[in-house]
Amino acid sequence: MSALRKRVLRALDAPSPALKQSATALAVIASAVLVLVVPDLGFTNPPAAIAGLVIVGIACALALLMYRGGPALLRLELLIPIIDLFGIGAFRFGTGGTQSLFAALIILPVVWLASAPGRRHILYAWAGTSLALSMPWLLTWSVPQTAPEWLRLIVTPTIFAIAGAIVNELARLSRTAVDDATRLAADKERMLQRTVEYAAQLQDSEAKYRAADRMFRGVWAAVTEQSVIGTDVTGLIDLWNPGATKLLGLTEDEADDKLHIFDFHDPDELEAHARELNYPPGETVLNPGFSALVESARLGEAEVREWTYIRPDGTRIPVELSVTKRVDEEGRTRGYLFVATDITKAKEVARLKDEFVGLISHELRTPLSSILGYLELMRDDEDQPLSAEQLQYLGVAERNANRLLRLVGDLLFTAQVESGKFALDNRELGLASIVSASIETGRPLANAAGVDLALELPPQRVAVFGDPVRLGQAVDNLISNAIKFTPRGGSVTVSLFERDGKAVVEVRDTGLGIAASELDKLFSRFFRATTATRNAVPGVGLGLTITKAIVIAHHGEMAVESEEGVGTCFSMSLPLVVSAVPVS
Amino acid sequence: MSWTVVVADDDPDIRTLVGIAAAKAGLEVLASVGDGEAALQAIRQHRPDLAILDISMPERTGLDVVREARADDSLGDLRIVLLSASVDDVSQEAGLGSGADYFMTKPFSPRELAAFLSVGKEAR
Repeated sequence: MSALRKRVLRALDAPSPALKQSATALAVIASAVLVLVVPDLGFTNPPAAIAGLVIVGIACALALLMYRGGPALLRLELLIPIIDLFGIGAFRFGTGGTQSLFAALIILPVVWLASAPGRRHILYAWAGTSLALSMPWLLTWSVPQTAPEWLRLIVTPTIFAIAGAIVNELARLSRTAVDDATRLAADKERMLQRTVEYAAQLQDSEAKYRAADRMFRGVWAAVTEQSVIGTDVTGLIDLWNPGATKLLGLTEDEADDKLHIFDFHDPDELEAHARELNYPPGETVLNPGFSALVESARLGEAEVREWTYIRPDGTRIPVELSVTKRVDEEGRTRGYLFVATDITKAKEVARLKDEFVGLISHELRTPLSSILGYLELMRDDEDQPLSAEQLQYLGVAERNANRLLRLVGDLLFTAQVESGKFALDNRELGLASIVSASIETGRPLANAAGVDLALELPPQRVAVFGDPVRLGQAVDNLISNAIKFTPRGGSVTVSLFERDGKAVVEVRDTGLGIAASELDKLFSRFFRATTATRNAVPGVGLGLTITKAIVIAHHGEMAVESEEGVGTCFSMSLPLVVSAVPVS
Repeated sequence: MSWTVVVADDDPDIRTLVGIAAAKAGLEVLASVGDGEAALQAIRQHRPDLAILDISMPERTGLDVVREARADDSLGDLRIVLLSASVDDVSQEAGLGSGADYFMTKPFSPRELAAFLSVGKEAR
């Protein structure tokens, strides 16, 4: 039903030539029927009337042809009303000439012609009308005889032309209106399209926002092992995560109260830090402890510090706290975020580890004391002196027991370094004496290994501030390492000098060298270079770790250069003390 | 009259070793015990010139014994040597701070301990 309606509407909206022609055809047929039926009417010139009907018939045929022929023939559409004008002109001539009732039929093709776009079609309509109306004279090859005939021949086409002009103008206006309407419809369509797209985008963004929101809520709720607290710039809490209520042992209700972050801090700690930062107490609007707490965050520096939280029930919880700024869209500080991790367990583990290492070292040292003591008694037994061979065996046992003892000491020392508990007995000292002592310690080892051990000292005193025992241990380690890694016949050179305001101790050997790929791992605990394992050089990989720890504790630096098969050079540089002792 | 000594260490081998070193130095070992409580009793009973005490012992530590002995005026002449297998500096400070006269770390050389005790005996 509606499909048919649409087709009809489309046909009327843009009528085909056949449809337009049908009006003329019907009018002409009706006129012919009238002439035959009405007695007072009649054909004054039957051949002309029939010729007229035939011409209109040809026009009809042409219109149908165009209807079928498609757009190529449509350009010739206006031929049809022109042919019609001839046909109607002839029909009028055949039905009474100038007296004919049917001159009015001319209006139909005229309207068709005149409604075509362009003013020239008014002229065509005028010319066509003139031609059609002059048919009685053209066909009889005569000229009008009377004045009214002349007048009619001139006036009537003019009137038709005026009518044509009006039709033309109306058609133009209508076309403009249609164009405007079409354009408006297209605009509307485009806007609608854009609205639909925008709505789709909006929906998409909303979905994304919801996903992000869900994600954030999920993460926020999932962080149960870290306390995350948000405050405004005065420290008033406005944000808690589940981890915070758990860590601080609060109920939901308690967390809703107006609380300040500093209510949960150890006030003595806050005060101490405020003093460190030189905040005059009571002179700021804010709580000075809070100002100290957020000092780094306020300056935009990331800071992780250890603090103590105190629960409402008085339990103290050591936490590692990171404080950051909360900023609004303009970048202004709106408050702070406090992310705290409970380090109670970590502290307990560290304490247990220290205890364990201490215990182990004590328990290992006691049997070693017996072994070494009784071996010495055996060596010193004057009543039953040992044979040379027995003494040699005893030496092996003693050497290995001592090696075990050193290892225990190294392990304990490494553990102390890790827990940051190794004390230095610092004083101003000349490095030359330390290096010389280490050379003497290393001498027997060098002689046994067939390695030449040389010392190069500067003429002036090189003084540093440090612990003589620990520094001696560091140099000892470097020298014994160098000897161990140098084949028989090679050399180890120890030199002391000043460079760029630093005291430098350099231990250079002509040994096996270290692969470049292993240089950066050299100072890690228990690391052993491939050259060490391949050549079965004894050791567990603690010496360099300890040496570096000692040097770092003295605010110094360790460096190493090495080439496989050529040798290695370790150097430690320490801050120089400008000594008042004159050069001798 | 020879110099007398009481030795206390929870490890019997070390106890024997200290005893041998003391004997080598010409000291008379009056008692050799394995815990702090026994050490205190032996000191009060035998009233030796010298006590050689391990720090880490059951019942009472060597430090406890030193404090008790120092609090007892009748033991004013007692010399005390503390032995420790711990290398912590804290232990040495605590040892000397508690009132001991000397502090030795394990492992020790029996030869050196004997020499040290001989010198101490002569100085007396």
